[in-house]
Amino acid sequence: MDSGFNSQCGPAYRLLTRDQINTIHYATLELLETVGVRIDHPDAVEMMRSAGCRVKGDDLIQIPNWLVEECIRSAPSRITIYNRFGREAMHLEGRKTHFGMGTDLIKTYDLVTGKLRQSKLEDVANAAKIADYCEDIDFIASYALPHDTPVNLMYIDSFKTELENSVKPLFFTAAGPEDLAVIHEMAGTVTGGTDNLRQRPFLIHYAEPLSPLMHSSGAIKKLFFCADNGIPVTYTPGMMSGASAPVTLAGAITVGNAEALSGVVLHQLRSKGAPIISGFGMSTMDMKTSACIYGCPEYRLALSACADLYHYYRIPMWGTAGASDSQCLDQQAGMEWAMSLLTDGLTGANLVHDIGYLGQGLIGHPAALVICDEIISYVKRVVRGFDIDPEHIAMDTIRRVGPKGQFLSTAHTLKFFRQEHWQAKLTNRYLIDSWIDKGSKSWGQLATQKAIEILSNHRPEPLSDEVQDSLSAIRAKAERDLAEKHFEA
Amino acid sequence: MSLEQLGKYVEDGDDKESKALAERLLTDGTDPLTILNTLTEAMGRVGERFAKLDIFLPEVMLAGEALTAVVELVRPRLPKTDTWTSKGKVVLGVVRGDLHEIGKNIVKLMLETNGFEVKDLGYDVDSLDFIKEAEAMGADFIGASSLMTTTMPRQKEIIEFLKEKGLRDKYKVVIGGAPASKEWADMIGADLYCENANSAPGLMTGLLVE
Repeated sequence: MDSGFNSQCGPAYRLLTRDQINTIHYATLELLETVGVRIDHPDAVEMMRSAGCRVKGDDLIQIPNWLVEECIRSAPSRITIYNRFGREAMHLEGRKTHFGMGTDLIKTYDLVTGKLRQSKLEDVANAAKIADYCEDIDFIASYALPHDTPVNLMYIDSFKTELENSVKPLFFTAAGPEDLAVIHEMAGTVTGGTDNLRQRPFLIHYAEPLSPLMHSSGAIKKLFFCADNGIPVTYTPGMMSGASAPVTLAGAITVGNAEALSGVVLHQLRSKGAPIISGFGMSTMDMKTSACIYGCPEYRLALSACADLYHYYRIPMWGTAGASDSQCLDQQAGMEWAMSLLTDGLTGANLVHDIGYLGQGLIGHPAALVICDEIISYVKRVVRGFDIDPEHIAMDTIRRVGPKGQFLSTAHTLKFFRQEHWQAKLTNRYLIDSWIDKGSKSWGQLATQKAIEILSNHRPEPLSDEVQDSLSAIRAKAERDLAEKHFEA
Repeated sequence: MSLEQLGKYVEDGDDKESKALAERLLTDGTDPLTILNTLTEAMGRVGERFAKLDIFLPEVMLAGEALTAVVELVRPRLPKTDTWTSKGKVVLGVVRGDLHEIGKNIVKLMLETNGFEVKDLGYDVDSLDFIKEAEAMGADFIGASSLMTTTMPRQKEIIEFLKEKGLRDKYKVVIGGAPASKEWADMIGADLYCENANSAPGLMTGLLVE
């Protein structure tokens, strides 16, 4: 974390030396110039050709080094994201880290029955409401993928529901440029026009290239829509090392970086200076079960390297943490959430998504968000470090108290205990008898209870009736327009 | 001895040596059917070792590729009267709008290594093309994979088209892919959901027995 004061110490972790960053950067440039990427979009191919790329066949694009480096420079080094009211909420820059949810979990634990079932729109609303309440969750996303709305409106309905249940910045996916345009219109309604939205964006779109080394037509259309409209966009591959990327971490990092940087080139050529968040994620394929593993240590290492690279590039960087492969709220989930959230905090990833994920990116649980909020709070405390100026060394107080005294009743303790010691919100700190009196509850049970409380008591800031009516009208029109739509890959 | 060696090469996933040796065996007059039976035994051993986790997915994939290479070489040499009947015929593909085919490719090899004949339709496959290809092949199964939640409705569409054409009972429809589930399979009326590639051959064989 940036302290701004010399007397503040704070932990920061760097994996790569400057020479190692250069080695990976050169390998990435070599890959882009000699192998290239497939681009399944004729206009984009033409754009790349006229910018100086070599085109092999119809769609293999080899990008010269200078062009990649020019586009790295033209991508903004900082992006400010606002909340629904237009107030500054996140500064994606330097080593500042912000945490929030991911999208599209197909199954959710039902808080009433405790059972795992297909996700519903109500789960999107619940997740947004819980995240709106939790002060350490910085941005929201759909979390669940609703199965009880028309397929072509899944992302539109999710977006609308999130607007209705939280004021926080909103990270979102879309099926194609068509529903993305509808979502953009909805967001503009909230900010009083899309011009205001461009100046004070409260949303970040997420689209992705396909590993290895391919940009699909659908992905490029979404990327271009964001570039044209100044919508901040995360355009980052999700690799599976050993399957869609090399099994060696250095190889996968090179491939992922080439996919991400070729995305930066496409985006910056389309609209120089438009806001983009880059980077890559790398899960592993489990060679026994063929499952896609999020909670592995290799993901942490690849992401640490990614953070070092994108700090060097001065491009806001995407992180992933708080994602577990466990299917339920258990010790494995706690381990994988905590280890990953702490590592991302220490590497200084800027936009860390996927908190509260279970089951390899397929399962959500409202209580998982409450638990991750608590872990993030812990991580933020660690990353903040501590002050070592004279007042904090407290020589005067120590002198006054002297040997065999006590510090509890000093003014110094009163002044500093709230900042210096982390204030747990949910973590069990009872003495044994109190814990038994209160029902001997595990952390998972406490979090579930807290989630239920939040959902029955928290009232998010509502939208105005006028905005609410406009959103419903846009939704109704989209239902007609997109009824027979087949989204492109 | 040489047949035994061929089995070993395939088991080790050495497609070059496997092909070379198969070629020599054929030239020496070894019965193509005997060669194919040797391969089946070798793949049986591969399957057992994978089940015990003596070996892992990459080894199985390499063995599968070696097997496919030898089968392609040997099958045309089978006398007309001799038929090497596969366990079942499958058309397999990734549904329209979806480009993710790594999982589907693993399923293909798993099926082939377990004695199924697979026609691979690739990715971004139109729902009608699944049906056309199944008709052309005389398939027993239509296997449709979807990795994206937005393309899952295409799995349902295949089943609807089959019904419209009055062909629903002719094929077993098998679905897979990360967002698919048993629940989804039941909802759309698929015959089978396979959670992963490893489980596909066994579950599909089970359907044939029924």
